[in-house]
Amino acid sequence: MFELFYALEEAAEESSGIDLLLPETSELIAGILAFSIIFLVVWKFALPKLSQILEARQQAITGQLTEAESAKKEAESLLDDYKEQVAGARKEANQIVDDARQSGEALRTDIVAKADAEAAEIAEKARKEASAERERAASRIRDEVAALSLDVAQKVVAGTVDEGAQRDLVARYIDDLGGMG
Amino acid sequence: MDPLILASECDPAKEIICAPTNVIELFQFDEALFSIGPMDFTRTVILTFLAMFIVIGLLYFAFRTPRVVPTKFGAAMESLVLFVRDDVAKGTIGPDGIKYAPYLLSMFLFILVANLFEVTPFINFPLTSRMAIPLFLAVLTWVIFVFVGFKKNGISYLTGIIWPKSVPVALRWLVGLIEFFSTFLLRPITLAVRLFANLVAGHLMLTLLLGSGWIFMSAIGDIGIRSIIGLPWFVFGLGIFVFELVVAVLQAYIFTLLSAVYIQTSVHPEH
Repeated sequence: MFELFYALEEAAEESSGIDLLLPETSELIAGILAFSIIFLVVWKFALPKLSQILEARQQAITGQLTEAESAKKEAESLLDDYKEQVAGARKEANQIVDDARQSGEALRTDIVAKADAEAAEIAEKARKEASAERERAASRIRDEVAALSLDVAQKVVAGTVDEGAQRDLVARYIDDLGGMG
Repeated sequence: MDPLILASECDPAKEIICAPTNVIELFQFDEALFSIGPMDFTRTVILTFLAMFIVIGLLYFAFRTPRVVPTKFGAAMESLVLFVRDDVAKGTIGPDGIKYAPYLLSMFLFILVANLFEVTPFINFPLTSRMAIPLFLAVLTWVIFVFVGFKKNGISYLTGIIWPKSVPVALRWLVGLIEFFSTFLLRPITLAVRLFANLVAGHLMLTLLLGSGWIFMSAIGDIGIRSIIGLPWFVFGLGIFVFELVVAVLQAYIFTLLSAVYIQTSVHPEH
């Protein structure tokens, strides 16, 4: 392989190596032309277009984020609403149960009071009736006792005592009975 | 193409020396396929326009229709373009760098495609191994940074280079002289030659290793067992092929980055 490189070196020295270092006119013109066209495309098309793409992407992403944010907010407010409604419904249910309990209680108290009053009334009536009955019985007994006593006394002391004295005697007797009774 | 040139010079049956009579044959295609006025449309010239169409085509198909979700190709081109625009142009030059982004991006894509021709099957020839494109772009960069330097800083751009205030007075003339030559004479030359020489070396290595390896191996009927010498060369050549792929991308990047750095030193010469 050394021979190969040696041969190459020799060859390079033979033909002036400066040819390799100097640009060929046609190639230079082609390079300048090609680069100018590339530059124009990059300058007028690629970079502006890329900025546009990046901006559009940024806007799209920002828009989507904002949208998501607002959707989230809406969902949250909706959830709050629902929570509020559920809480309201629960409160209302409690209220209804409470009310029912209260009115039941009131009804019960009322009924019991009424029953109590009625019972008291019945008892009172019975007591009054009993007392009136007793009064009546007592007075009838007194009358009968008086008549009987008069009869007995008449039979015992017939003729010895005038009628006025008898009556006094009977009355006194009855009073004594009454005081005893 | 190149193995063909080699083959035409090579007669392995007689002599184990395979070489073109002139190394320049590997780089020059003098016969014009056709001519328009003074323009000779040689293979190199046609490849130059092919490179142009490839660059334009890549850009066109990548950015033709704006998409919110880019295709894989679109995303790749986007990241490439944004890399040059944001990292190279803005990152090196500063916020002002966006103005130079079209120039740097055109340069990067053009050189990249021209370099990659080195390892493109059926082309196998880097356009940048010819001096025309590297020299033109290097001179253009030179014109731009000199122009920008004087426009932004007036005459103090020149005096700042030849009479640097940050250097002790005794050394100022020496540093100034070195800086003057380095900035105004060497920069365009080194910029052009760095790219050019890298691709010349790469193309030479690939052509010699793959070409001679292949010729030796295919001459097995004529030279028998001795043709086995072609195998290591060919395998080594394949390794270099991958290496050259990296070189092609890297040299395009270096050229663009250095252009950006040179422009930056003119925009903000105090740094």
